[in-house]
Amino acid sequence: MGRDGIAGLVCLATSLGLFAATIGLPEASLLVPIGPGFYPRIVLGITVLLSAILIVTDFAGRARRPAITAGVPANYRLVLITFSIIGIYIALLPSLGFRIATFAFVSVLQVALEPPRNRNNWLRVLIVAVVTTLITYLVFERYLSVLLPRGRWTDF
Amino acid sequence: MYELLLSGIANILQVQYLLPLLLGTFIGVIGGALPGVTIAMTVIVVLPFTFGLDPLQGLAAMTGVYVGGSAGGLITACLLGIPGTPSAIATTFDGFPMARKGEPGRAMWLGIWSSFFGGMLGGVFLIAATGPLAAIALEFGPWEFFALFVFALSMVAGLTGSSITKGLLSGALGLVVTIMGNDPVMGAPRLSLGIGFLEGGINFLPVLIGVFAFAQIMSDIEKMGPARPGQAAGPVPTLTVSHLKVIGEIIARPFLLLWTSFIGVLIGVLPAIGGSAASMLAYDQAKKFSRQPERFGTGAPEGIIASESSNNANVGGSLVTIMAFGIPGDIVTAVMLGAMTIHGIQSGPLFISQQPKLAYGIFAAYIVAHFLMVVIIALSARYMLRLTTVPKSVLIPIVLVLCVVGAYALNNTMANVYVLLVFGIIGYALVKFGFPLAPLILGVILGDQIEINLIRSIMTDSDPWLFLTRPISGGLIALSVASVIFALWQHRRYRKRSPQSDDDHADF
Repeated sequence: MGRDGIAGLVCLATSLGLFAATIGLPEASLLVPIGPGFYPRIVLGITVLLSAILIVTDFAGRARRPAITAGVPANYRLVLITFSIIGIYIALLPSLGFRIATFAFVSVLQVALEPPRNRNNWLRVLIVAVVTTLITYLVFERYLSVLLPRGRWTDF
Repeated sequence: MYELLLSGIANILQVQYLLPLLLGTFIGVIGGALPGVTIAMTVIVVLPFTFGLDPLQGLAAMTGVYVGGSAGGLITACLLGIPGTPSAIATTFDGFPMARKGEPGRAMWLGIWSSFFGGMLGGVFLIAATGPLAAIALEFGPWEFFALFVFALSMVAGLTGSSITKGLLSGALGLVVTIMGNDPVMGAPRLSLGIGFLEGGINFLPVLIGVFAFAQIMSDIEKMGPARPGQAAGPVPTLTVSHLKVIGEIIARPFLLLWTSFIGVLIGVLPAIGGSAASMLAYDQAKKFSRQPERFGTGAPEGIIASESSNNANVGGSLVTIMAFGIPGDIVTAVMLGAMTIHGIQSGPLFISQQPKLAYGIFAAYIVAHFLMVVIIALSARYMLRLTTVPKSVLIPIVLVLCVVGAYALNNTMANVYVLLVFGIIGYALVKFGFPLAPLILGVILGDQIEINLIRSIMTDSDPWLFLTRPISGGLIALSVASVIFALWQHRRYRKRSPQSDDDHADF
């Protein structure tokens, strides 16, 4: 199965799952002629139909699809690492608090994206992390009245 | 109208509005000049800073970003041959060769003044057309609004990306996001999957930021490697030039300026096509109308004028659609719509009559931003070139922190940050599977309105044929069908012409 087929299957499964979830919704009454499930069923019906078309065209087009030529290999490892770092940052944000978590996040992500090779690079990583944290904190807390998360563990 | 505009300008020139406008324009120019940072990304970064401001301050800042960004891309396009934003791609075709021939100042200033004049012409259209178009839209019933939104969505789905099925599916998935949460008629909880937070529905801004920003950042990261240091900027060339001569060069081609600005406005009015398509189309038109088309690509001033006047006029057109109909033309106007919603302002045809101060404030901000843009670029162009050496490893973490703060600050809860992350992953996956993102975002934005108008029309009169028999509604539905058929025909023709093509490019 090709890329479109997989995407179609995922969309189809999600749409069918959500469609099933609309079954228990209250039905239309005399007062309100349209129930809350009316519009979702139309939308999900459309996604089911389009997903099915995607799967069918993927199968139908397999024979004449040329082999995908390799371009510059994408650095998926780095993408995965970045997503993991963001995930950990967001997960720890309420526990560590905005300032500690953001400082750690900006430092770690810079190192992951471009590992420092000398002292100056390390210094830059630290300066960028401190300045980003301080400026965002000061601007949002002091001037824009946004209460950024305090740490549950750190109370900071 | 003109009194309102003049009072709008007087209003915007007050320090409290001029400062955010100036900062927005400045940041827009920087974002536009930085290759890899689009105008949309810049406005997403600016968004959280506008939450604490009053609505006009926030919208002025965003208008500044939009205008500044549309022009900022030309600096690196002309001087380094690297377009700072996609809308400056066509500017590199002639801007860079002209700069290499020893006229970098002429190339850059032709671009800046063309942006200025194109933007002003776009402004004339914006001010003249918004009111009458909104007045037409005021006559719309729920049938017409339903049909209009469906038309916008189907057109975007057909025009973006290289597969019509994926475009439509992307739009439909956007609608799926909006069916979660309490239904608009009975308030019954719907598809909240047992998650308490989802009962209130999903706010579209974290979805938009997640889908768009993550997809773009991750696509950039894919191309990063361990040993690819940033380019060192060479010596900055002298940019001194006779402004009168450059302006004379542009004014001497009135037809070119008017026609390419018109193309920009027209593409701007159509949702989600964007500045890059406007400038490419305008460039192509300029070449077709030229008596010496062979000069294009070698440093022809017409190429720069066409590209830059159209991409700034495009901003004016885009603002018309959002102010008259409440339909965002691109990511930037979608973010502006989000900012209005946060302040409790309903965009749409009533906007200009109910919020004249704000509407004319935006017009004024748009006009003043063009003057600020010229001054900012004049003072800072040589420093902008230095900025291009800032490595991505520094920019990306900062942008991500601002995305997180932006989502959090919406209502000071972590729930929106989780939505951001989930949709960041979904957005990146969609791009990898070759889905265009614009229809998804438009679906998320228009979904509630589509449902409300559908239900309102059926509750008013249960005859479903009214959608087709009412002339405007029927016409718009016919146009929706026609846009899908046209897209199918276009894709078929494209595939026949280039059967080897693969639809692996991300469409933002």
